[in-house]
Amino acid sequence: MNSLYIARESMIHRLDPRTKILFVLFIVISSFLFKDPAMQLILLIGMFPLVLLSKLVKQYLMSMQFLMLFVVLIMTIHGIYNPIGETPVFEIFGGLTFKYESLVYASVMSFRILVIGTAAVIFVMTTHPSDLAIALMKWKVPHSIAFMFLSTFQIIPIIAREAKIVMEAQQARCLDVKANIFERVKHLVPLFAPLFIITFVKVHQLSYVLECRAFSRNGVKTSLRETKISSLDYMFISGMLVLLLTELYLSFAQQISLTTSNLLVSSLFAVWAVFFIVIVKFVYKKVSVFIGG
Amino acid sequence: MEPFIKVTGVSHVYPNGVTAIQDVNLEIGEGEIVAVLGSNGSGKTTLVKHFNGLLKPTTGQVTVGNMNTKKERIAKLSSLVGYVFQNPNHQTFLPTVRQELYYGCKNLKISEEETEKRVKKAIELFELENLLDANPFDLNSSKRKEIGMASIMAISPKVVVLDEPTTGQDHKGCKRVLELVKMFHEHGHIVVLVTHDMQLIGELNCRVVIMNKSRKIADDRADVVFKNQELLKTADLQPPQVMELANQLTYLNRNESYLTIDSIVKWFKHNKKGLEEERKIGTGS
Ligand SMILES: Nc1ncnc2c1ncn2[C@@H]1O[C@H](COP(=O)(O)OP(=O)(O)OP(=O)(O)O)[C@@H](O)[C@H]1O
Ligand SMILES: [Mg+2]
Repeated sequence: MNSLYIARESMIHRLDPRTKILFVLFIVISSFLFKDPAMQLILLIGMFPLVLLSKLVKQYLMSMQFLMLFVVLIMTIHGIYNPIGETPVFEIFGGLTFKYESLVYASVMSFRILVIGTAAVIFVMTTHPSDLAIALMKWKVPHSIAFMFLSTFQIIPIIAREAKIVMEAQQARCLDVKANIFERVKHLVPLFAPLFIITFVKVHQLSYVLECRAFSRNGVKTSLRETKISSLDYMFISGMLVLLLTELYLSFAQQISLTTSNLLVSSLFAVWAVFFIVIVKFVYKKVSVFIGG
Repeated sequence: MEPFIKVTGVSHVYPNGVTAIQDVNLEIGEGEIVAVLGSNGSGKTTLVKHFNGLLKPTTGQVTVGNMNTKKERIAKLSSLVGYVFQNPNHQTFLPTVRQELYYGCKNLKISEEETEKRVKKAIELFELENLLDANPFDLNSSKRKEIGMASIMAISPKVVVLDEPTTGQDHKGCKRVLELVKMFHEHGHIVVLVTHDMQLIGELNCRVVIMNKSRKIADDRADVVFKNQELLKTADLQPPQVMELANQLTYLNRNESYLTIDSIVKWFKHNKKGLEEERKIGTGS
C-alpha cells in the first residue's frame, strides 16, 4: 500500500477511524486550552503509551526528527529575542540572555507542535486510508469528497516515485542537480515541468478508470473493508470526554501553572541534546555512506 | 585496449533491501552492440543504470572510460553515457523539438560552435529538419520516443543506453529503432539495449547478456545463445519465431543460424536450385 499507513496488529489500529479523528481533535483542543508549557509536556508524555501500544515507536521517532528542527529554532530564537521577555533566566556566550517569559512563550509554541504532530502521526500511521474514507462516509460526507480525500493520500507516494524517475531522467540529460544553489533554483523547471505533466496524465487516467467502474452511479455503495464502533471505541471516547472536562476545569477554574524556570531550562537543554543527537546520527550516516560505500 | 565500460563484481541492494543484481562482471568495448535480456524483475534496468552513475554499486566497481562511477557526478558521466528512458514524458518537457535538442548541450556548458555541431549532427541523423518547430507533445508516441532519443544523441555520448526502445511501438516504429541502432553503431557509438523484443535481437545478431534472478547467466552472440535450449528455459526466454521454426525444420543446415526470415528464405532458394539441379542430373542420365 502506497501511503504513510503502517500495518500492525494493535489496539490503536483496531480503533474506528472516527474515534481517532475525535482523538486528534481532542488533542488539538487540549493543547490550545493550556498556556502552560508543563501541561503541554504532560500531554506529550501522556501520548507516548499510545505510541507504544501501536507498536510504531521507531517510525514515530523517525518522523519526529524533522519537527525537532522547528522546535530547536523556535526555542532558541524566541527564547532570546522575543520582546515579551523581562526576567533573565540564564546567559550564554555573554550577552545572549534567555528570558523567562520568552521561554514560556517559545516552549508552549514548540511543545504544541510536538503534541499536535504526535497526534497526527499516530492517526496517519495507524489508519488505513480506505478505512478513513469509509468512516467519513458514515459521517454522511459525500462519497466523491471522501474519495478525493483518500486519493490525495494515495497520490503523494506516486508523485514522489515519479519525481525520483524524473530526477534521474533529467540527470541523464546532463542536468547537474548537485550544482550550487543558484543553479539549482533554475533546475526546478526541468524537474517540475515533466512531473506536472505526468501527474495530470495520471489523474486523468484515474478519472477514466473510476468511470469504467461506475464511480458516479447513484445509490448506496458497499465497501470491501468494514469499520465498526466497538466497546473499545466507547471506552476511548468516554476517557477522552472525562479528560476534556478535567482539563476545562483545570484551565478555567484553577488557572494552574506548574512551570518553573528550572523546568524551562532543562527542557531547552533536552531539546538541544536531542537535536544534537539527530544531527550526529545524520552526519554519521552521510559520512559512512561516503567512506564505506 | 581497456574496455570502455568495466563492471567488476557489482551487486546492488536497493534501500528497501531488495538485491537487484548480484556479483555481475561485464566488459563492454568500442563499437559493440550489447543487448541485455531477461524476464521482468531480473535486474536489467538496475544493471544499465550503473553505466551512467544513476545507481552506484553497493559492492564492486564500475568504471566508464577509466572513471570510477562512484567518484563522478551523474551529469558528467551522462555526457559519456546517454541513457534514454522508456517513457519520454520523464525526459522531454520543452515546447519545441529544437529546444529539446539544445537542452542537453546547454547543461554541458560547451562552446556554442560545438553545440551547433552536435545538434546539427543529431538533426541529420534523425532527419528532423521539418519537425524542429513542432511541439513534441503533438507528435505520435513513436515520434515522441524518437525525439527522446535525439535529445540524448545531441549530447553526443560515446555510449547510448536504450531501455525497452520498442515496447509499445508499431511495426514501423520497431523497424525505425532497428535502423537507428544500426546507425548509432556505424557512427561509432557503443549501443546497450534493454529489451524483450527477440525479433530485434535476431535482426541485429549482436552480443547478448542474459540476466536471471539478479545474476548474469550468459554472455555470448545471439545466435549461440538462442541455440542453447536449456539456457533459454532457465532464463524463461523465447528465441525469435524464425529461429524456432528453423529448429523444427530439422533438414536445415545445423551449422548455420537462422535469425531472420531472410536467412531461411535464402536457404530455401539456394537449396531449391540445388535440388532442381540434382533432379536434372538425375533425369538426364
Ligand atoms: N527503486 C527501487 N526500489 C526498490 N526495489 C526496486 C527498485 N527498482 C527495482 N527494484 C526491484 O529490483 C528488482 C530488479 O528490478 P529491475 O527494474 O532492474 O528489473 P528489470 O529486469 O528491468 O525488469 P523489467 O523487465 O520489468 O523492466 C525487482 O525485483 C524490482 O522489484
Ligand atoms: Mg526494466
